[in-house]
Amino acid sequence: MSKFVIVTTMMLGLALSAAGSAQAADSKQVFDFYCAQCHGIDGKGRGINVTKDFATDPRNLTDSSEMAKRSDEDLRGVIKDGGPSISKSALMPPWGSTLTSDEVEGLVKYIRKLCDCKGK
Amino acid sequence: MRLLAVTVTIGAALLVMMTAPSYAAGGDAIFKKGCTGCHYTDGPAKEKTIADQLAKKGPELWYAGSKFQKAWLAAWLQNPKLIRPLKYNSLTEKNSGDHPKLSAGDAAAVTDFLMGLTSKEVKAGTIKPSESAQARNIFSKKAPCGGCHEYPVKGNTVGGRSGPSLVGASKRLNPDWIHAYLTNIKAFKPVRDMPDFGSVLNKKDLESLAAYVATFE
Repeated sequence: MSKFVIVTTMMLGLALSAAGSAQAADSKQVFDFYCAQCHGIDGKGRGINVTKDFATDPRNLTDSSEMAKRSDEDLRGVIKDGGPSISKSALMPPWGSTLTSDEVEGLVKYIRKLCDCKGK
Repeated sequence: MRLLAVTVTIGAALLVMMTAPSYAAGGDAIFKKGCTGCHYTDGPAKEKTIADQLAKKGPELWYAGSKFQKAWLAAWLQNPKLIRPLKYNSLTEKNSGDHPKLSAGDAAAVTDFLMGLTSKEVKAGTIKPSESAQARNIFSKKAPCGGCHEYPVKGNTVGGRSGPSLVGASKRLNPDWIHAYLTNIKAFKPVRDMPDFGSVLNKKDLESLAAYVATFE
């Protein structure tokens, strides 16, 4: 009996970790496709669009101290409704009609990994 | 003898008529032979996921006849110039500008074929190119297109690099298509790295923005 429980628990654990890494891979793909053009693939805010003409500095998403000042709800809001929703630049556009809720949630988690921080 | 000459002439003429393809059919054949490795022309849009979009080597052309201006397309196919600063679907590699060049005859035939591919989303005669303070404000502040697209300012090119350049849009793009694309982007590109502004900007904003982009030299 105990052997059965151990095997079942191990299989469940494997299945869950596989699902978790699939979601992480998907979120990286979503980030690279939509966000990296301005925030950079490394999230440091130096994407290909950030030329001398770019009127703001895209947020360095790896800056733990700055990112810790924002709640997960702030991140969700700015992704969906754009920079002006938190009194920041409109160069951060609203993605609410483009991304699904799951994709937005995945991005919030991915960004928290980039900053290695929790929201306030 | 005279009868023989007339018969031969008529026969030859019939043979030419039967074997020579029509102009548009010729363009279709040229396209199938050389272009389908990177472009598809059978709409509506096929992409459902990011992976679908990333698998494409070049833009979809199933609405090319609604999107482009005929004279520009015929000239561009003979002498392609960079539209995107970066390689299609890349944020790191520069566009090498290696699009194949067509002869004048092939370019005319392919242009005829592509101009026949239209989208019912594009309503003719909706937009007339014009510049306005309202549109300049939207373009530069409200929905800053220049963040991702190059555009002209007093003869100079400024702006972002991830999207296709808007320099020369007045000659390249159909103003009505610009409007339809901004209004209902998902119908043309369900998966793309440009936000959906159709639900953010109001009807007048969308019209004036399209009219403004259509003035870009």
